[in-house]
Amino acid sequence: MIPMLRTLLLVISVAAASLTAAGGAHAQSAADIVAGTDRVRNPDQPFRSTVTFTEYVGGKERDHNTLVVFSKLDPATRQFRNLVQYMAPPRDAGKRVLLDGRSLWFFDPASKVSVRISPQQRLIGQAAIGDVLTVNLAVDYTATIVGTEDIEDSTRQPRHCWHLALKAANDQAVYGRIELWVEQGSFDPIKGKFYSDSGRMLKILYYGSFAERLGGTRPTQAIIIDAVDSSLATVASFGDYGFQDIPESWFQRDYLPRLTFQ
Amino acid sequence: MTARHLPASIWVLGLLALAHATPSALADENNDLNLIPGAVGTPAPSEPAPQTSPAGGTPQRIYLENAFTGNLQRHGLAVAFPPPNPRAWQERLFLDARTEWRLGSRLGFTFSDRLNLGAEKGQPVPDDENVFNDFREGYLGWQPVDGAYLDIGRINLKSGVALGNNPTDFFKTRAVVEPLSADPSVLREDRLGTLMVRGQYIWSGGSVTAAFAPKLYQPSALDAERDPPSIDPLFDRTNAQNRLLLKSSIDFAEDLSPEFLVYRQGSETRFGANLTESIGHSLVVYGEWAGGWRHDLIHEALLYGRRTGTIPSSAPDPLPSDQGKAFRNEATIGASYTTESRITFNLEYHYNQAGFSHQDWHNWFAAGAGPSSSLWYIRSYAADQQEPVSRHSIFLRADWTDAFVPDLDLTGFVNIDLYDGSGFAQVTADYHLSDNWTVGGLAAGAFGGKRSDFGSLPTAASLMVHINRYF
Repeated sequence: MIPMLRTLLLVISVAAASLTAAGGAHAQSAADIVAGTDRVRNPDQPFRSTVTFTEYVGGKERDHNTLVVFSKLDPATRQFRNLVQYMAPPRDAGKRVLLDGRSLWFFDPASKVSVRISPQQRLIGQAAIGDVLTVNLAVDYTATIVGTEDIEDSTRQPRHCWHLALKAANDQAVYGRIELWVEQGSFDPIKGKFYSDSGRMLKILYYGSFAERLGGTRPTQAIIIDAVDSSLATVASFGDYGFQDIPESWFQRDYLPRLTFQ
Repeated sequence: MTARHLPASIWVLGLLALAHATPSALADENNDLNLIPGAVGTPAPSEPAPQTSPAGGTPQRIYLENAFTGNLQRHGLAVAFPPPNPRAWQERLFLDARTEWRLGSRLGFTFSDRLNLGAEKGQPVPDDENVFNDFREGYLGWQPVDGAYLDIGRINLKSGVALGNNPTDFFKTRAVVEPLSADPSVLREDRLGTLMVRGQYIWSGGSVTAAFAPKLYQPSALDAERDPPSIDPLFDRTNAQNRLLLKSSIDFAEDLSPEFLVYRQGSETRFGANLTESIGHSLVVYGEWAGGWRHDLIHEALLYGRRTGTIPSSAPDPLPSDQGKAFRNEATIGASYTTESRITFNLEYHYNQAGFSHQDWHNWFAAGAGPSSSLWYIRSYAADQQEPVSRHSIFLRADWTDAFVPDLDLTGFVNIDLYDGSGFAQVTADYHLSDNWTVGGLAAGAFGGKRSDFGSLPTAASLMVHINRYF
């Protein structure tokens, strides 16, 4: 059975690739599209942003969290390094997370200890660490074009999109695979579906509220819907953007207790 | 039928479906929009996203907690516990504050303190022991140049990558005061800092730290009273010896940044190392080791008891022990694994070469037939040093955020002595009523036979309820 499926998938992939090469709509390669939408989400200079999370349970607003995220591209890997500080709620204030390559550390000012954690660990609400930190999907996933589709964005406006299938290319990828819809022309990310290694759909994500930030049009809102329990949703609002010089030493584990900023 | 026998028309249909999704498929895709809560607003693109706290600065953490703990005593102990008995109940109300003030662009002051109001069975109210303050940290930090830091004052300097036991956490000894939970991660929170001078340099490829803590007091007895009762900072616990720590973490390769430590306390030197490795996106493995020339736990405890006057110098040793120093190792090897449902498990093996061997346990219970309060003193000393009593043990912890319902956090751990299978287990549940209020409870118990490590403890079980208000 499995060899047959493999053969089928291989044939379909090859055939789809042939169609892609022949069709004008697919003039862009899947990798180019993912890299393009990465550029929409992430500036290429070091920057800082504030992410405010609002959790909804059964449609009702419940919890609020605020993080400040510092991100800087590592030219060697083309992946971002991130430093995160929790600002609210009060019980979590001062906690910090560092992502540098394969290393992910969590610092709690109460215990004053940095503990190494895995990307799978939940950060806030329905948001895993990989949802919050600045990540270039093109580095961690290999992509193929599934097709072109007209879907509605979070405000129910039609968008003409590439439908991409992303598969984890290394063990730093948070998800086993991702389905991604990217608007043709603008490369705006519109929608994503995120799956575990076992193939279970974990969450649906809608990007929205595109606005001029840090020299480009970027999404300032992400709506994350729990695919396992659809009564749970988290809305992440990105703001307070600013380019910022971030020294290399900030991405050392021992810097976590030292983080202070204006 | 095999794949290559499928009719060509099937392939065509399949490829068409891939290239252009059908209207019904797209309708299904758009149905996901119905899952977005109606209350979700769309911020105006021209406006910055809303914020619930200032964008800059170092946030402080201040909260008020009330906790009531009840303990169930065990009767008919294999080795009689010397008076006073463990408290039957305790009520505590405390204000806990951790904050940092910026005094300039390169100067800051860090403060951490807990002010307690307490009452317990058998203690008169009001009494000068009803109020006590735990001054955990207070130090001035200066950054003379980028990457370089100099701190002076009372500092909680911690080391180690493991969860259940940290052999390289050299400043943990005698520093834990009045813990509300036996969870090792909570013990680290209820801990006094040490008066020291600390220098640190952090660069893009690593860091190096040097700390010196001077001897300012004579060692005090384990059960020494606070003097004065309410506000004694207990420097006799943290600064009774000259202590020096050097440690460095270097990036040798991607994801390979071991930490090495050298620690000198009095006339003893210990070495240590920490290493972690991430495997996939769910698994982290880690190891922690410390070793040095020292006495075994039994002899070290008896020496300390005699030195501080708790054990008469003329009293004979209650147990045979190794009278000389030897190079003894302490290590923790563990792994954490997070499931798809976001439960994180930590499994660790703890080794303490200075701890009780099987023969030591046999001797301890055999000696308990006669009168000797110093038997329990040895175990109290180990707890005060934050050191495992037994030579081999296993630690398993589970941590589940949003367990069953949103905002319910469950944590449980069990510590098992591998010699006799006895253990200590604890489960905590915390429910966040809002951003500012949390209620919770804790249940803990020791299990095992009467003549076992944990089965011989005087407290069989504990229950605690608490409510927190965060500011």
